Amino acid sequence: MIKSYDKWLLVIVLLLIVIGLTAVYSATSVTSPDVIEKFKKKEIDVTQFGFLKKQLFTLSLGFVMMLIAFKVPLDYLKKIAIPLLIFSMICLLLVFTPLGATVNGARRWIRIWPSSFQPSELVKLSMVIFMSWYMSIKFYKQNNFKTFIIPIAIMALFQVVFLKQPDFGAVMSLALLTVSLLFLSGVKLRYLSLFAVLAVPVVIKLIKEPYRWKRVVAFLDPWSDAKGSGFQLVQSFIALGSGGLRGVGLGEGRQKLSYLPEIHTDFIFSLIGEELGFIGAVFVVALFLVLFLRGLAIARRTEDRFSQYLAYGISIMIGVQAVINFFVVTGMVPTKGLPLPFISYGGSSLIINMIAVGLLLNVSASGSSSQQFDDSQPKPAPVARVPLHRGEMRRHKGFSYRHINQGSSR
Amino acid sequence: MKKRAIILGVLVTIGYIAVAARLSQIMLVEHDLFTAKAKGQQIKKEAVPVKRGMILDRAGRELAVNLDTESVFANPSEIPSPERVADSLSKGIKKNPDVILAKLSADKKFNWIERKLDTEDTNRIKEIVKDSKLEGVGFFPEMKRFYPRGKLASHVIGYVDIDNNGLEGIEMSYHKHLTTRGENLKVVRDARGNVLSEGQRKEIKGNNIVLTVDEVLQHIMERNIDEVVSKYSAAAAVGIMMDPKTGEILAMTSRPTYDPNNPADVKAGQRRNRGITDCYEPGSTFKVIVGTAALEEKVVNPNSKFDCSAGSIEVGGGRIKDAHKHGVLTFKEVIQKSSNVGTIQIALKLGRQRVYDYIKRFGFGEKSGIDLVGEVSGAVKKPARWSGMTIGAISIGQEVAVTPLQVLRAYAAIANGGYLVKPHLVSQVVSPEGEQIYKAAIKAERILSDENVETFRNILKTVTEEGGTATTAAVDGNLVAGKTGTAQLIDPRTKRYSKDRFISSFVGFVPADKPKLAMIVVVYEPRGAIYGGVVAGPVFKKIAGESLSHLSVLRDDAKEKRLVISN
Repeated sequence: MIKSYDKWLLVIVLLLIVIGLTAVYSATSVTSPDVIEKFKKKEIDVTQFGFLKKQLFTLSLGFVMMLIAFKVPLDYLKKIAIPLLIFSMICLLLVFTPLGATVNGARRWIRIWPSSFQPSELVKLSMVIFMSWYMSIKFYKQNNFKTFIIPIAIMALFQVVFLKQPDFGAVMSLALLTVSLLFLSGVKLRYLSLFAVLAVPVVIKLIKEPYRWKRVVAFLDPWSDAKGSGFQLVQSFIALGSGGLRGVGLGEGRQKLSYLPEIHTDFIFSLIGEELGFIGAVFVVALFLVLFLRGLAIARRTEDRFSQYLAYGISIMIGVQAVINFFVVTGMVPTKGLPLPFISYGGSSLIINMIAVGLLLNVSASGSSSQQFDDSQPKPAPVARVPLHRGEMRRHKGFSYRHINQGSSR
Repeated sequence: MKKRAIILGVLVTIGYIAVAARLSQIMLVEHDLFTAKAKGQQIKKEAVPVKRGMILDRAGRELAVNLDTESVFANPSEIPSPERVADSLSKGIKKNPDVILAKLSADKKFNWIERKLDTEDTNRIKEIVKDSKLEGVGFFPEMKRFYPRGKLASHVIGYVDIDNNGLEGIEMSYHKHLTTRGENLKVVRDARGNVLSEGQRKEIKGNNIVLTVDEVLQHIMERNIDEVVSKYSAAAAVGIMMDPKTGEILAMTSRPTYDPNNPADVKAGQRRNRGITDCYEPGSTFKVIVGTAALEEKVVNPNSKFDCSAGSIEVGGGRIKDAHKHGVLTFKEVIQKSSNVGTIQIALKLGRQRVYDYIKRFGFGEKSGIDLVGEVSGAVKKPARWSGMTIGAISIGQEVAVTPLQVLRAYAAIANGGYLVKPHLVSQVVSPEGEQIYKAAIKAERILSDENVETFRNILKTVTEEGGTATTAAVDGNLVAGKTGTAQLIDPRTKRYSKDRFISSFVGFVPADKPKLAMIVVVYEPRGAIYGGVVAGPVFKKIAGESLSHLSVLRDDAKEKRLVISN
């Protein structure tokens, strides 16, 4: 059975992936001989196709995972919401064991042969699934402070670990994700404002951390220390600015020649701007915006609460992360490590985002629109399904709704 | 919830629009600014390594060449244990292990350990690196400047620093010719400094410089100057030989000297080309100015008489004496015997302004324009600032600061028939392919009339004849025209003329009637003898004699004999 899914969404994602592969290849195919020599000792292949090969490998894995996510019964996700959250927490804590890998002074990776994995990416998706489940269960009341504070508390737990790593980028995106979902669920704005007020001192304390403070200062005036803390941002500006309207040409960029650090990961958008110009950069921005809006549309069409939150959550997860990355690269928020979904080099982000898109496609297929295209197996009208589901929830306390739900979606 | 979803959607969309706006600012509005910045850091002008041109003497003999050497460098960031590497390297490099260790431990990615080693040393160190498996040590081929004749003509040739930048002499003044032909190469570099676009990187050779100097004459001069310096324990000495007609410098030396192969080990004084950098009071050699001026201005004729019997003369409240008492002297004899009293009487006839004008006309007080760096112009006071005594003092070569080269040039004017020539050391610049890129032009300016020069030349000839002050300078078989000079040095402590420190000089040309060579020899602070005729004269004679036979100039008397035979 081929579910009728949002084909445009898939096209956009595939386009982004192709752009990403091209950009990663462009960014990593030219490496200075001394760097190759240096990495050879660490048994890391940084020659012309080294990064591309690895990215293609993760991509094939990503497609498998995406297909699984597309096929998986959405109700099954509800069952694994809590175990998945616990699993992500364990993964995250593994970073501090000998399995963890330290790069540039931050413990953000765990080594899994033959590569490494960044649990923070998994945490985001787990959080989306958990929140979608939590906010769709029957005893969730958006006006109740208790049901507001539980997701916040869970988020805070993760944040503590993120800060230990440290991974300020993950802190920021997880916070935005959680708060956005809570906002969507209809919690009282008072709670959110209270949370915001309480968060202020915490944020200030965090920013005061010398290395972060440097980044903030560098962000405010990168030119004041263009060779030190403002270096990356200045180099990003130079990359983008020299691109102009049409870019210097694919593969012709020079900022990747060790000028712009992390150009293949967090700053890959600068390379796109340099090589493909304003036209190329805006095209990528537009793709993400369309992806985000398309995700919102899927959510709006969906009647099932869980699926709806899931679609919103995934849209926000990808759409907001992308926009933050753009903000960072263009110097609109302080620099921090946050990859651009589908485009930046890096397996964890690619796989997780592909799973997320698989789920989004899954939602799009099982939503109201499925009726129009999928005539092979008529389904119960979703409009009828949801009230039933809600009714069941009200009647049964505990977790018994699962069975009902499972039944109804099949 | 729908409402909130719309709010969220709008907020994020605004974020995206902001990104687009920001991009248009950076990428479109500020495009030119960032393009300039990008080019500034990515494109580097790289001086193309050039094989420095050779410096040759006038006959094409090599005075400065290049050796292929290798330099050892280290990348300290790749060296895990600098101690071990330093220990191993110190077996091959003649350097203190601590010095090597410091270089290996520096916080750099590139650090020279030892530069420009010869093949033997290089091979030995390579062996050590290979055997001990040393990491982060590399070799780089470099050209080393080599001066095969060592100290010979060191002041003319100059020397280069470790990066082959000319620091003195011809190496400096002709550095551009010796190194770059064409422009710098524009190359794209990565942030680590690796060059990406190779451009055209074939070896580029600099131009060769052909000097006017004759290595043999230079050698003759240096040998004899060395002799006089050691004989009289002189503090310093200068010798310059010039072709009086063209201004070509045939030999030029200065003492103390140095070996340009090891320029770092010497004191600045050794590197000084005193012939152009140091001023002195020329003393009696300066009397030719007043002498020729008097003839030119027709205030005297060769037989005009001057009463010098008083042995001294009072000028402006001061009294200037003769070394020996003379009687009544003719103009000729005043010059021949170098009488101060007579010269001053002539000067007084000329008057301040004319004396000054002739001093300037002979090129004193300004640079000769020789193609070396560091030349000084000397100092000639303007008549308005003269004291009453100055006219007396200046006419006998005091109260005036001149360089030996300026004096030589003045005498060359007498030798060549009245032209002030521009001295030069480079006759031509030749490209590696043999194409002439530059040829020195003879620059000469008439300052004296033919007949007066002729007359005065004949007077100068008598100086080295019986009854002159420099009979010792007479060259066997060839007539010398020249003049002695003995000037007192000013004692820096008392600010008065020192009683025991003199500068002894002889300047002249040979053969007197058809001068081939003009030469000056200046000996600073000779001990045991002071007079120009005693100290500098004999050196002049020896150098001139040997030089003429090298140049195969027929002896004046031999010519006559041949004429007889042919008859």
